[in-house]
Amino acid sequence: MIVAIAVHGAPYGSQAADSALRFARAALAAGHRIERVFFYHDGVHAASALAVPPQDEPSPRDGWIELADQHGVELAVCIAAALKRGIVNAEEARRYELPGASAAEPFAIVGLGQLLDAVAGSDRFVTFAA
Amino acid sequence: MDTRRILFLLRQPPYGSSQALEALESVLVAGVFEQQVSVLFQGDGVWQLVDGQDGTALGRRTLGKVVKALPQYDVTALFACADSLARRGLRAEDLAVPVEIVDTARQQALIAGQDAVVND
Repeated sequence: MIVAIAVHGAPYGSQAADSALRFARAALAAGHRIERVFFYHDGVHAASALAVPPQDEPSPRDGWIELADQHGVELAVCIAAALKRGIVNAEEARRYELPGASAAEPFAIVGLGQLLDAVAGSDRFVTFAA
Repeated sequence: MDTRRILFLLRQPPYGSSQALEALESVLVAGVFEQQVSVLFQGDGVWQLVDGQDGTALGRRTLGKVVKALPQYDVTALFACADSLARRGLRAEDLAVPVEIVDTARQQALIAGQDAVVND
């Protein structure tokens, strides 16, 4: 089954981000395919390259990156939600003349259309709300 | 993109966070992408429908205006939970936007008839 996931809660601010990551791992382990995880609302903070998690806690960002590396999961971050929260890639940093980029690779800054594309292109769409 | 029946389940109050506005933006995009969109306002989400809102006092956009604009994006199937309205003392005449007020059984049928449900 093709599963698409939306993450709406910020890491540390809500359980949603962590639950989504655990769900994604379980779905992949059960043989399902996850093509895209869409980060929206405060969920975009998961993409921050500047977050330093405590040493005794796993990094949600690195957890997502691992899924992208190992299973080809696309990590899509809503551009409108990301820009106003300071999650920007190099291209956006240049466009808005910001002092630096904050989005980790391979998180991709995309339009909201990608959310609808994920909904329309999946058998199941699961939202992890804040 | 395939055309799907998508229900947006909106439960956030209009102000206090940007959740409600961002969720409505995704509804607008679904309309632009010509999906078969329905919207169900439930819980504190029904406050988004109330007439006479003014977000400018908070330096924010007025949510009610965004909801009113939905039909321009071909989003015309708007529903509100009867129980959520009643619990908040809201009547049909308090709403700025014409919606179909539905009981729990109708909501179950509405949700069951979708290809996907998007929560806020």
